[in-house]
Amino acid sequence: MNIVWTVITIAAFVALTIINPQSVLTVCLDSSSQALKTALELTAIYCIWLGVFKIAEECRLVEKLSKLLKPVNKWLYGNISEVAAGYVSLNLASNLLGVGNAATPSAISAIGEVEHDEKLSRFGVMLFVVNATSVQLLPTTVIGLRASLGSANPSDIILPNLLATIITSVVGVALVFVAYGRCRKKHIVVKEFN
Amino acid sequence: MNYIVPVLLIVVLVYGLIKKVNVYDSFVLGAKQSFNLSLSIFPYLAATFIMVNALRASGLDKYVTSFLSPPFSLLGVPSEVVELMLLRPFSGSGSLAILTDVYKQYGVDSYISRCASCIYGSSETVFYVASVYFAGTKVKHTGAAIPIALFCNLLGSVAACLLCRIM
Repeated sequence: MNIVWTVITIAAFVALTIINPQSVLTVCLDSSSQALKTALELTAIYCIWLGVFKIAEECRLVEKLSKLLKPVNKWLYGNISEVAAGYVSLNLASNLLGVGNAATPSAISAIGEVEHDEKLSRFGVMLFVVNATSVQLLPTTVIGLRASLGSANPSDIILPNLLATIITSVVGVALVFVAYGRCRKKHIVVKEFN
Repeated sequence: MNYIVPVLLIVVLVYGLIKKVNVYDSFVLGAKQSFNLSLSIFPYLAATFIMVNALRASGLDKYVTSFLSPPFSLLGVPSEVVELMLLRPFSGSGSLAILTDVYKQYGVDSYISRCASCIYGSSETVFYVASVYFAGTKVKHTGAAIPIALFCNLLGSVAACLLCRIM
């Protein structure tokens, strides 16, 4: 991200300066206030989901959910602590239900629970890929936008969209398995190196 | 589908009540974390938005798009949606603006617009998600996470264009 951001930003700033030097600072200020607005909106969304998750945790609903999803979690993430299992279960359930806004805070909690080094482990990579390629049952934003612009059949993209997200999920998870191996194998390899 | 979220919320609240959890206190305790979370995300958001907005305002993205259109058209991706594909990994709101432009320019029910819809729906704001996920951690090296996710974005977009052609 470091190189990508620096190169693109410098190139864009240089181009902007040539076209209209005054616009550089305006663009920066507009962007940071847009970021502030987004951060506030996210606070509102996370407030609700983190509050509800806490209730679900206290009444042991999360524990039940992670028992239910244990085989899937074990296959995807390997052996993880009970707390982390709770978070990834919430994350997986949110993704499957299409509540993307609820998936983010649970993923962040899971990463905060497991990742303590500078280098992202297999767990973090898998969680990231699962979330970045999640199956989308109902692309509500797109359907809403199409409807508002007078589409004859705004939801006729559901099926191709669903199939495309299934393809990305399967390939994404498969690639993590290819790059990082299955969870047990990895432990053996690490021990051999030690 | 409209019932998923409300039913979910009611179930959790009622279950908490049955299990004699102090629902109100728990909610407040959980909700308290939201401010710290978005506070740690904010600088990353600002950096990403500055890059994306500067890129769009300078017109450089159009230039890069015209450069990349021929190889993408070999993969079956219409050149009109390449800009959307390029900006999608960086910004959700930026790519939504491009999607709206595509709808208005080519008609919302055209093949190009349906392609654009599925590209938007099947790909993810990879760089944005990465900055949000790792904002509060020490993680600096993300390994294969971003390359894999970007490859899946590309694959999803190509698949979406193909699927829109036959469906």
